[in-house]
Amino acid sequence: MAWLDRSARSIFLWDLVVGFYVGLRYFFAPKKTVNFPFERGPLSPRFRGEHALRRYPSGEERCIACKLCEAVCPAQCIIIEAEPRDDGSRRTTRYDIDMTKCIYCGLCEEACPVDAIVEGPNIDFSTETREELYYDKTRLLANGDRWEVELAKNLELDAPYR
Amino acid sequence: MTKLIIDGHEIDADPSLTLLQACELAGAEIPRFCYHERLSIAGNCRMCLVEWVGSPKPQASCALQVRDIPPNRDGTPAKINTKSPVARRAREGVMEFLLINHPLDCPICDQGGECDLQDQAMAYGRAAFTRYREFKRAVEDKYMGPLVKTSMNRCIHCTRCIRFATEVAGVPDLGATGRGEDMEITTYLQQAIASELSGNVIDLCPVGALLSKPYSFTARSWELRKTESIDVMDAMGCNIRVDSRGREVMRILPRVNEAINEEWLGDKSRFIWDGLRRQRLDQPYIRQNGRLERATWNQALGLAAGKLKATPADQIAAIAGDLAAAEEIKALKDLMRGLGVRHLDCRQDGAKIARSPRQGYLFNSGFAGVEAADVLLLIGTNPRREAPVLNARIRKTWLYGNLRVGNIGMPPDLTYPYQQLGEGAGLLEQIASGDHAFARVLKDAKRPMLIVGQGALARSDGAAILAQAAQIASQTGMIGPPGSLAEGGWNGFNVLHTAAARVGALDLDFLPESGGRDVAGILNGAASGEIDLVYLLGADELDMSRFGRAFVIYQGSHGDAGASRADIVLPGAAYTEKSGLYVNSEGRVQLAERASFPPGDAREDWAVLRALSGALGQALPYNDLESLRSAIIADAPHFAQRGSLPVSPGADPAVWEKIGTPGKIDPDLPLKSAIDDYYLTNAIARASTTMAECSRMFVNPGRMAAE
Amino acid sequence: MLLTPWLQSLGLPYAAAWLISQSVFIVILSVALLVMLAFLLLFDRKVWAAVQIRRGPNVVGAFGLLQSFADFIKFVLKEAVVPAGANKGVFLLAPLVAFTLALAAWAVVPLNPGWVVADINVGILYLFAISSLGVYGIIMGGWASNSKYAFLGSLRSAAQMVSYEVSIGFILITVLLFAGSLNLSAIVRAQAPDIRHWFVISPLFPMFILFFVSALAETNRPPFDLPEAESELVAGFAVEYSSTPYLLFMCGEYLNVVLMCAMASILFFGGWLPVVDIWPLNVVPGVIWLLLKIWFFFFLFAMVKAIVPRYRYDQLMRLGWKVFLPISLAWVLISAGYLFAIGRIS
Repeated sequence: MAWLDRSARSIFLWDLVVGFYVGLRYFFAPKKTVNFPFERGPLSPRFRGEHALRRYPSGEERCIACKLCEAVCPAQCIIIEAEPRDDGSRRTTRYDIDMTKCIYCGLCEEACPVDAIVEGPNIDFSTETREELYYDKTRLLANGDRWEVELAKNLELDAPYR
Repeated sequence: MTKLIIDGHEIDADPSLTLLQACELAGAEIPRFCYHERLSIAGNCRMCLVEWVGSPKPQASCALQVRDIPPNRDGTPAKINTKSPVARRAREGVMEFLLINHPLDCPICDQGGECDLQDQAMAYGRAAFTRYREFKRAVEDKYMGPLVKTSMNRCIHCTRCIRFATEVAGVPDLGATGRGEDMEITTYLQQAIASELSGNVIDLCPVGALLSKPYSFTARSWELRKTESIDVMDAMGCNIRVDSRGREVMRILPRVNEAINEEWLGDKSRFIWDGLRRQRLDQPYIRQNGRLERATWNQALGLAAGKLKATPADQIAAIAGDLAAAEEIKALKDLMRGLGVRHLDCRQDGAKIARSPRQGYLFNSGFAGVEAADVLLLIGTNPRREAPVLNARIRKTWLYGNLRVGNIGMPPDLTYPYQQLGEGAGLLEQIASGDHAFARVLKDAKRPMLIVGQGALARSDGAAILAQAAQIASQTGMIGPPGSLAEGGWNGFNVLHTAAARVGALDLDFLPESGGRDVAGILNGAASGEIDLVYLLGADELDMSRFGRAFVIYQGSHGDAGASRADIVLPGAAYTEKSGLYVNSEGRVQLAERASFPPGDAREDWAVLRALSGALGQALPYNDLESLRSAIIADAPHFAQRGSLPVSPGADPAVWEKIGTPGKIDPDLPLKSAIDDYYLTNAIARASTTMAECSRMFVNPGRMAAE
Repeated sequence: MLLTPWLQSLGLPYAAAWLISQSVFIVILSVALLVMLAFLLLFDRKVWAAVQIRRGPNVVGAFGLLQSFADFIKFVLKEAVVPAGANKGVFLLAPLVAFTLALAAWAVVPLNPGWVVADINVGILYLFAISSLGVYGIIMGGWASNSKYAFLGSLRSAAQMVSYEVSIGFILITVLLFAGSLNLSAIVRAQAPDIRHWFVISPLFPMFILFFVSALAETNRPPFDLPEAESELVAGFAVEYSSTPYLLFMCGEYLNVVLMCAMASILFFGGWLPVVDIWPLNVVPGVIWLLLKIWFFFFLFAMVKAIVPRYRYDQLMRLGWKVFLPISLAWVLISAGYLFAIGRIS
């Protein structure tokens, strides 16, 4: 019987019919395409996009130059130099990220004890030259200022799982 | 010997050991904060708790001596457990207590990454959860001077710093006020720690309460490249570890070497590193119209070679500085010998030391030998300034033994009591002839020793003083049996140098050849126009105004006195930037590794000399360090035995009568130390802002007040 | 053809009138074909995307309708790269050959009664001849590229096309037996008036299946796209081609696909005939019916491309020689026997 069944399926091209049916079902299914620049898919609060250095609500920068992000970075794309600021607090004098080296693994974010370095939701930061992707502290702080609302919300949403 | 069973292993321990040491012998690791091998036992951190089976409570192993542990009633050895649940839980509890008031600021703490508390909290602390709901204690930070930064919230009251200051440094500047939670470590009157060894409290502090001020916040321990090297700030050859990041030296730490520096390091050696970044010569210069103008290596070497060729050999002189490694001294000597130059000298201060016998300029007992001595005679030296780590060892010997110290010279501010015998050099003759009471003390001593400082030798009658000192040594039984200290040998005749390069240069005979001029002669010759060309190899401690119209070629690392007088400046490497051999006062040859690279166009000094020899058309016969070192060893075979102390040959009169030149001594001219300002003894130190601040604060406090 | 009498009435001699009217017809046919091709290409991509739950090209023009024209401009404007080791003449000739032959085959395809460039009596044979020549374009292209991938691709292609032409030949013979003519218009007329007499509703139905599958293989469409098999041969015979030469190859290929769709319509689905011969269906122009059928078959082609994985080469050969050839051969005998039995042939 099995032979008969198999032969019948083969002769009547049953596999093709089934395949065609499945294909047609998908044919009429709602499409998943997102018209990217005009529409955007949802982003998780954990999404790891462009980096930013955050500030406290008082305007004081969060980064304390502990260099844990520099140490944990597997691509070694973070370079930090630090010295005591005039008020005696520990601050960076240089915080560079080479975005061309970065692999967006998010370990810097994980390592940061003060939520200073974060990877925000921004993905539109392509540039025309390589040099523009060598971010310095000013650039990162500016990113933080621009995205602070989203960053704070994302951190809050993810906080219960940390 | 007492038998103990530690973690199931039976060991036979010396009863004088502490239980902690016995456990370490048995291979167990005991966490500790307050206990330190070189300090007295305080027993206040309680981290070293172990279980003594049968005892109702865990025992602090650092404070329990093995002799106080009786065997069990049935005669079996006492059982000690270091890994049992009792011991573990006891430590967890102690750790929790310690952390109650310890702030969670590891990310901004410079100790982070090399912190005992951090490590031990990971290894021995509670793993699961926190019970800290209360506020933490807040303590005001104390001022401890320009070198030590404090962050007193982090203090766990181990009192290591207090014990170090009182016991090792000998300055009772640190102490604790209050009790329990209110205890605070303080300098009482918010004063700086007035010690040349104050930096060591930074290493001792097991947490981040005492930190290096110049280093603060600039680097983390894990990003530093560690290079083992040798210090050149004094002639002790302290073993150091140079921590560098990229091209910059970020800090300098001591390495343990029981024979030399134990684990201490003087402040100058430790905090000199900012001088390595400032005032650097990173490019050759040529003086044109009275100004030093930038030049290329080709121009500078070409001009120097032209001048050297054009000047008659008899009118050329070369002086080696205090920080030069043996390599460049050898290269300079070979270069000058090739030109036929006879006026060579390495004794910038004019010390009257001859090449042979070698015992005549060495610290023959070895630094560790100080601990074996029972009487010490200081002649024109202040070990606290000239070799602070040696001074700590003298203090240690005084503290634990029965060392009696006598001093001839201006009374120094030492950290132990001494008998002031007088100031004038005339006393030496009295002691040598046995007329002085102290001669009896020396004769009665088992192992007497004397230390002659450079201050005594750098006088016009220096050679006679040296001969007199040798006379005292041989007369009072300081020259004991031959052999090393361990073999029962003894040699108490010691010359303490202040320049790291000096012994190496003497070993390589960088001295005037027959008919040659010494430093004073060169200076006089230059002033009177008989010397036309002077080659300075890092020599900055000379009176540059006396060079007259002579053409000066300066090779060195820093823009100091020498470079500003020079007509040609050839940029060289500082001691962290080259691999070099240094011979310390003891005659011990040690290798300093390169930690970073010289700045800009500067090159290693021997390579500069090799290039100059090429420009002269008489290339030196070595192209790399290996062949250069082979040449050095051919000259002085002891350079092959790195790290070993020369063995005393015993009281051979043929040797001892040749030391120094007997002559007339000015009996009333007081002997004094060669160093006035500990913090500013060389070009690197003078370039360092930290050293300048220290000097202002400790050496010339009046000037600060005036400002 | 249609213009000939009108031009004659204007006083032109027959030869001139014929020439002019044929030329005009050929131009109109070619342009119409190529424009349709543009939209078929878009349709292909849209169908494929739909099965994969995508939207397909939708940026150029409304719903991406102008996508193919954008692609065309891009192809034409790009640099035509000729590999250093290639035989330049043959390399550039090959796509021309492939494209020209694909277009030439359309000469005998009747779009409507009388709407045919050359209503010859051996239309089927002509088609056969042309499609056999088509393999030359590919062989030439693959060989002239001087590349292993291209050469292997073209060899595969040749072997594949030769194999399936054999069974297509036998399938056509069965159709010819039923139609009794080699003229394509006559074959359509043999299926008049509507679906009741279409060859697909006849003992020829299995032959239609075989024809469809063979057509896939003949035109190198998935699942028989072994000549270009991206995963193995990068892009097969076309690997070295770029710009306009590649465009010609691709157009030729798609023209062949459309031709096969037209052939299936004509041979089995009654060409220009309406589905049911009743009003209002029978007043719809025949060319519309043919186009509808062509689009339907093209839809099937596209669906197959989307849902069937590629065959292995040995499976392809086995299917051609050991399944299709015996079946079609047997069906020739059966058909002939059937027709003999019912007295259609004697």
